[in-house]
Amino acid sequence: MARQEILLGNGAIALGLVESGCKVVTSYPGTPSSEILAEVIRFVKSERLDTYIEWSTNEKVALDTAFAASITGKRAACCMKQVGLNVAADSLMSAAYMGTIGGLVIISCDDPGPHSSQTEQDTRFMARIAKVPVLDPSNPQEAREMVSLGMDISEEFRIPIVLRPAIRVCHARQNIKFNLIKKSAQKASFKRDPQRWAATPAFRLILHRELNIKLKEIGKEFESLAQYNFHNLEPGKRYPFGIIAGGVPYSVIRDILTEKKRADIPILKIGTPFPFPESLATEFMMACKRVLVLEETDTVIEYFLRNNNMIFGRLSGHVPSEGELVPQVIYDLLNKTLDELNLEKLGPKLDYEATELVKGLNLPVKRPTLCPGCPHRAAFFAIRKTKPKAIFTSDIGCYTLGINLGAVDTCLDMGAAITIASGFYHSFTQDEVTQPIVATIGDSTFFHSGTAGLLNAVYNGARFILVILDNLTTAMTGMQPTPGLGIRADGSKGKAVSLERIVTGCGVEFIEVVDPYDIKKMVNVIKKASTYVNEPEGGIAVIISRHPCVIAYPDEAIPERKRVMVTDDCVECNFCLERFECPALYHDQELGRADINRELCVNCGLCIQVCPKGAIVEA
Amino acid sequence: MILCGLGGQGILFMTRVLAQAALDKGFNVMGAETHGMAQRGGSVISHLRLGEVKSSLIRAGTAHLMLSLDENEAYRNLAFLSKVGKIYVDTDSGDFPRPEVKEFLDKRGITYRAAPAKAIAQGLGAPKSSNLALLGFFSAFDEGPMRYKELKMTIEKISPKRFREINSKVFEAGQNRGSSYKIA
Repeated sequence: MARQEILLGNGAIALGLVESGCKVVTSYPGTPSSEILAEVIRFVKSERLDTYIEWSTNEKVALDTAFAASITGKRAACCMKQVGLNVAADSLMSAAYMGTIGGLVIISCDDPGPHSSQTEQDTRFMARIAKVPVLDPSNPQEAREMVSLGMDISEEFRIPIVLRPAIRVCHARQNIKFNLIKKSAQKASFKRDPQRWAATPAFRLILHRELNIKLKEIGKEFESLAQYNFHNLEPGKRYPFGIIAGGVPYSVIRDILTEKKRADIPILKIGTPFPFPESLATEFMMACKRVLVLEETDTVIEYFLRNNNMIFGRLSGHVPSEGELVPQVIYDLLNKTLDELNLEKLGPKLDYEATELVKGLNLPVKRPTLCPGCPHRAAFFAIRKTKPKAIFTSDIGCYTLGINLGAVDTCLDMGAAITIASGFYHSFTQDEVTQPIVATIGDSTFFHSGTAGLLNAVYNGARFILVILDNLTTAMTGMQPTPGLGIRADGSKGKAVSLERIVTGCGVEFIEVVDPYDIKKMVNVIKKASTYVNEPEGGIAVIISRHPCVIAYPDEAIPERKRVMVTDDCVECNFCLERFECPALYHDQELGRADINRELCVNCGLCIQVCPKGAIVEA
Repeated sequence: MILCGLGGQGILFMTRVLAQAALDKGFNVMGAETHGMAQRGGSVISHLRLGEVKSSLIRAGTAHLMLSLDENEAYRNLAFLSKVGKIYVDTDSGDFPRPEVKEFLDKRGITYRAAPAKAIAQGLGAPKSSNLALLGFFSAFDEGPMRYKELKMTIEKISPKRFREINSKVFEAGQNRGSSYKIA
């Protein structure tokens, strides 16, 4: 029997990559894409492949690197989350014109919900803007197959291909049968062709024409790609109503129609939204009087159908324009649509008794918080305490949760802690207002896109305190190593890159490294930094707040465990709960004081330094 | 099947055990997990579906079983349960479920069984293994296609070496609890 494993969708994608002979895989971590590279590494090790793998410093770097591999003739891929593709957009648009040699698959994972992202943007639109084909899998197995298909098309037509799995593909689990994995024998070679690989605008026009021709040909191929674009119309039959669906919503609607035995409703499945299989869609539309379109997250299929009179979808208001299309949402909207058309409904309306009941229970909202013992908590506490009137610009990572401590006011995109701080400085200074600003950014985010902003801020004379929260890992996405560590994706040794030297190299003249576990010292350093920022000859002050992540390095993070207790000196001021916000601290009504949840407490002892009454002590 | 609780309680591992046991029994497996931001102590929910299904998500009102490692999270996810569904929850509160919930569950014919899984795990010196205690408790009722023996074998198969013995012990203790619950 073939070997079978229950893989995450991201594992299935990784399997597709190694099966298709991919020689170079690059990525920058981001939910829901992060596990792809880790799974590639697992397969490369178990199958003894020689695939080159890297955590790149950002998504643009990842795409450039994979593109380079492709034009040496090797199959390559890069993986990222959907907002990462924004960072790589510059590279993507140009790569589409230049074309590829070895297959190049760009995997960009969407997050309808959103569960762990700043937008619900639709990668399929990005692919359309770039004029590259996009494949939209509806489950892990299909995503795995589409990787190989993408490699083949990319190589045949010399064009990058985008694979767009949504979170319910990436983080779905499915049993997957393994095929034989062979080592690819491709060798790198680069043939000079400056009119392509270094094309000036005059040649770009030619490349653009070439690209348009490729898309036409791929479009024809997609029309007959019956494995991923298909319908179940009976020849010659007319239907009052049909459904066109792609991606995860296809899986959901397929299950609902099977369960409800509704063979009277035909479905057209679109696995390749661009180039759009126009003839197939027209055939389907001709057979149906009205059509409902189900897709995530935007209106790509709806736009391509271009026939608003007969289509129900987001544009007509029948499908919600934001949030995830979970099964109950699809059930409800389909029921309503069928009712509107005087067709037989799926069944009774969903009853919301349970939902109403749960609402009435006033359950505590479990918001995400920084972990007990997290060094960021100590840093944020010190920042808020020392600079209560500052504007706190922050960034993307675990530390966005500093919002719970009142120490995060803004979070725009990767690297924006620094650029927003800079923009605030100039906006206030223009009015001759001295506004204290403290920016916080994590180590991985700083490596990703901190330097351009910092260079700009230094060069243009901005003044603020920048705290780099260095926990020696990329924590939020699952503890991937950073360049600061000098450990590479596969665990091998790389060259460690010093944050201090980068910051100094950007022209910053105040730089202090401090361990935030010593809150008093952290406070003093912030005071010193603040003085420097306001001196006539001052500028940007950078504090590197360095302490290992409590999850990645539990022993190093808490070298000295301190069992803490709350004494009767507690006056129930709630200062520790509001300002320190450790999940292991709570107010005990019966005891009439704060107390420690032993199950959550990691004995870091930080709260001893926090209580203004000295009521938290080592037991 | 819905598996829920809070970040860090081991919901993903509990799901893995059930999924692997199902696969070994010849079922096709489809599941959905929570990763990322929500794992930082927030609500975590995992969907598990067996058989010929395409989508990884369970529709509200259609889950046959719920295993919850937290009382409030069991309440929060009530809407997933079908009529005549069954709830297994980790709680030491003697008054589970709350009266207003009890009325709802009884009306629907939803069975609920509570076990102090955390206390069972803690008693064996493995406070972080309440997931296996609850799974053991659940296994005593012969509910669903994967039974006690199969689950135990799977736990032994997929637990990291240094946790194998204790995991197995906690699972068994949970099962014992379930067996005596049945008699009582």
